[in-house]
Amino acid sequence: MLLFNQLETYLYVALVLFFIGLYGVLARRNLIAILISVELILNAASLNFMAFNRFLAPHPAVGQVIALFIMAVAAAEAAIALSIIIAVYRKLKSVNVEQATELRG
Amino acid sequence: MNLLSWLISPPGVATVAFILVVVVTILGALIAVSARNIFHNVLGLVLALIGVAGLFLFLNSPFVAMMQILIYVGAVCIAICFAIMLSEPMYLPKPPRSSFKTLGAVIGAGTVFAFLVLLTKKTTWTPAPERSTDWSVTTMGHYLLTEYVLIFEVISLLLLVAMLGAIVIARGGRGAS
Amino acid sequence: MDPILLGCLLCVILPLVAFGLIMIFTWRRPNLSLAISLVASTIPLIIAWTMLFKLWGIKEPLIFTFNWLVSDLVKVPFGFLIDPVSLIMLVIVATISWLIQIYSIGYMGGDPGFGRYYADLSLFAMSMLGLVISSGLLQLYVFWELVGLSSYLLIGFWYEKFSASEAGKKAFVVTRFGDVGFFMGLVFLTIFFGSLDIAGLNAAAASDKMPPWLITTSALLIFCGIAGKSAQFPIHVWLPDAMEGPTPVSALLHSATMVAAGVYLLTRIFPFMAASATAMLIILAIATLTMILSSTIGMVATDIKQVWAYSTVSQLAFMAMGLSAAGLAHGTLFAGYFHLTTHAAFKALLFLCAGAFIHHFGTNNFFVMSKEGGRKLTIPMVTVTIAALALCGIFPMAGFFSKELILGTLAHLDNKIWVLLGLFGAFLTSYYTFRVIFVMLFPRADDHPAWEQYWEEPEPHGHGHGDDAHGHGHGDAHAHDDAHGHGHGGHGDSHGVPWVMSFPLLVLAGFTLVLGFLQTPLETFLLGKSEPHEMSFVLLASAVGVALAGIGMAWLDWGRKTASWQGFIKQIPALETFFIQKWYIDHFWRWFLDTFIYGVFSKWFTYNDRRVVDGGVDAVAFSCIGGGRWLSFIQTAFLQFNLLFMVVVLAAVGIYLLMGR
Repeated sequence: MLLFNQLETYLYVALVLFFIGLYGVLARRNLIAILISVELILNAASLNFMAFNRFLAPHPAVGQVIALFIMAVAAAEAAIALSIIIAVYRKLKSVNVEQATELRG
Repeated sequence: MNLLSWLISPPGVATVAFILVVVVTILGALIAVSARNIFHNVLGLVLALIGVAGLFLFLNSPFVAMMQILIYVGAVCIAICFAIMLSEPMYLPKPPRSSFKTLGAVIGAGTVFAFLVLLTKKTTWTPAPERSTDWSVTTMGHYLLTEYVLIFEVISLLLLVAMLGAIVIARGGRGAS
Repeated sequence: MDPILLGCLLCVILPLVAFGLIMIFTWRRPNLSLAISLVASTIPLIIAWTMLFKLWGIKEPLIFTFNWLVSDLVKVPFGFLIDPVSLIMLVIVATISWLIQIYSIGYMGGDPGFGRYYADLSLFAMSMLGLVISSGLLQLYVFWELVGLSSYLLIGFWYEKFSASEAGKKAFVVTRFGDVGFFMGLVFLTIFFGSLDIAGLNAAAASDKMPPWLITTSALLIFCGIAGKSAQFPIHVWLPDAMEGPTPVSALLHSATMVAAGVYLLTRIFPFMAASATAMLIILAIATLTMILSSTIGMVATDIKQVWAYSTVSQLAFMAMGLSAAGLAHGTLFAGYFHLTTHAAFKALLFLCAGAFIHHFGTNNFFVMSKEGGRKLTIPMVTVTIAALALCGIFPMAGFFSKELILGTLAHLDNKIWVLLGLFGAFLTSYYTFRVIFVMLFPRADDHPAWEQYWEEPEPHGHGHGDDAHGHGHGDAHAHDDAHGHGHGGHGDSHGVPWVMSFPLLVLAGFTLVLGFLQTPLETFLLGKSEPHEMSFVLLASAVGVALAGIGMAWLDWGRKTASWQGFIKQIPALETFFIQKWYIDHFWRWFLDTFIYGVFSKWFTYNDRRVVDGGVDAVAFSCIGGGRWLSFIQTAFLQFNLLFMVVVLAAVGIYLLMGR
């Protein structure tokens, strides 16, 4: 059985990507870096979809269509997130997430 | 020299290429989250995204791989570059890493990782009994415009709304010039 | 669709439509409102009479029902029950309601609320017609309350006058008080019997299918509602105050039809009520007490409408006596019901005549009317005399026949005290009725000393009885008299009675004269057979005798040239004060309200409201605020910290779930 012909391989690769992305979201302070990490998480998800599409799904277009949709959503999300980052920067003169503490109890 | 001869056979070459692609992806991802310079992060992200596109090729989807490079690398990463340029200048001093926070992040991400590994291991993956093998772009286009046409349209609406919202938020609300 | 059913539906729907139309669109335009209302009352009139003639002699009642509410336990039908009892009442209501609408053209002409008045009359017509032909008690109850609502609206029609709006409220609250009992009776019946169908109830009670305790309890509870609506002791106090409304309203609602609804209900479920001798005895006692009480108060009132109001109370009590005595003696409902029919004619006539006088002279005090030349208004004077004769039970007026029947029924009882009390009541009735008639007919010279006593300076309009806000405890029983708040004053000048007002008088006088002779056909129609009444000569003689004695007494006190214009009751000042104070029943209720309702219940509920309800709400609110303050330390504003927790907990839960597999 070849390595790249196994479902589990792709699942583990996606898992590692997800782990790295989640770590980035939790550890980084820069809002842009957090956005980058979120993109990694989204990619992990879309890789999973593609893998299931290749190995399990009854018809072969489903996963691809979903991967395309994820890309579109990611693009929209990036646009919004970036504009928010710019707005935050304008207000706080910083993109450090730890400085955004207006809602502290 | 069984291994060597296998390595130069087509499956061997493909496996080597695959491992390469995986390494590129993981490496890119690591750079994307760990480098101190935000611009390096973006470059790492580009690397990881290209790696994922390679994986898509291995999954028999050249079209999606192409789109991945086009949209992610071509559009999203460029937008992020713009954001970097519009926000904090890079020459400012960076705050030191907090080991407490890193530890927390590792524990959190590790718990999820453990959970997902467990999930992957414990699940028996069974393919659907009847599977069509038509992977072509034609089929996908057909699906996009028949079965998924509603989602397709909604996505376009979503993009439009996101665009408007981004403009409104970024220009600072009503009345800002 | 069945033409009968269509007729019933039209009777109910047309006035309702008229009410809506007038209230929403045309209330500013008197003539249009009048036209709409007249159309909506003429068609039911035609329908009612047509149905009476078409269905004359039906044996089996016609029942149309639809399901309104269906549940596992109860089924509530909505429908119409057409039988002789409801047919006759339908005709009465439709006719009098139509006549009153005609009469009101003259009486209410020029009033700023003319449109609203006709809207309210239409609402009343709709609810009363609906009440009459209801097939089930719950449906009847709905219309019953609607009738109460229109009564409230019409009593308080001149709402800018304080006493009128207070009287409206009093009428509503007091009748509601009885209706609570009525409703409890309905709930009781639903729980233990399972159906509120009138025909079913009557059949079941007649065939001993229901346990006696059930019949007695529910009959007494339902009688609470009857007592409220038909103004029986001790909750009759609203009816005299209800005279604050326009006089045509008093004629329609508070004498002929609405207050008769209580007696009508008693007739409607007569077999059911009659199945309980205990309940019948209690009703008989209450009715007798009410009759004596209201007659004695009527003897001292100086407001013509008050006199007729108390006479209404006593006549309603008289019907209730007839019905309950019939129930005790295994008789039929005919006596009471026949009196209801004749009473509707002559009492409406009495009120309309009073209205004609009031309209002309602008006062309610009949002494003032007399002084100003009341007897010159020929048509009202003649018709009021006819009606008064009917009220006293003098041949050949309608009242003679029906009163005779009731006294006959009372005489069937073993205990002769009831018939004696009935005769005494008849005596008092004749006395106070002819007191009014003689005073009006034979005014004294201008310098007669009696004028001083009964003359009251007309007060300015809208004076409002500010001091006796609740209508309780009038210092003087005459306080209602003057300036009865014709918001449309200024017609005290000497025009005669317009034809729209005299025409209904003549029609009703005609009915009063004729109705008595229809006794046998009506009885055949109602009961299916006519029983020969063995009328004992003694009873007949004594009945006419007491009536004539009452009239004679009135002649001695008020009529003859040398009469002192002092009631014989003047001889016993204590008793007179007692009557003028209306037996202190209003005082009693005032005291009861102050002591128990305000002093005890209100206090407790206020305390409960302050401490338990408000306190509870406050405690919740304050603990929320405090808890929020205390818990706010969690909100560190470190987003990643929150996310970390979320992720860890979710993953831990996932791992825990997977471990088991």
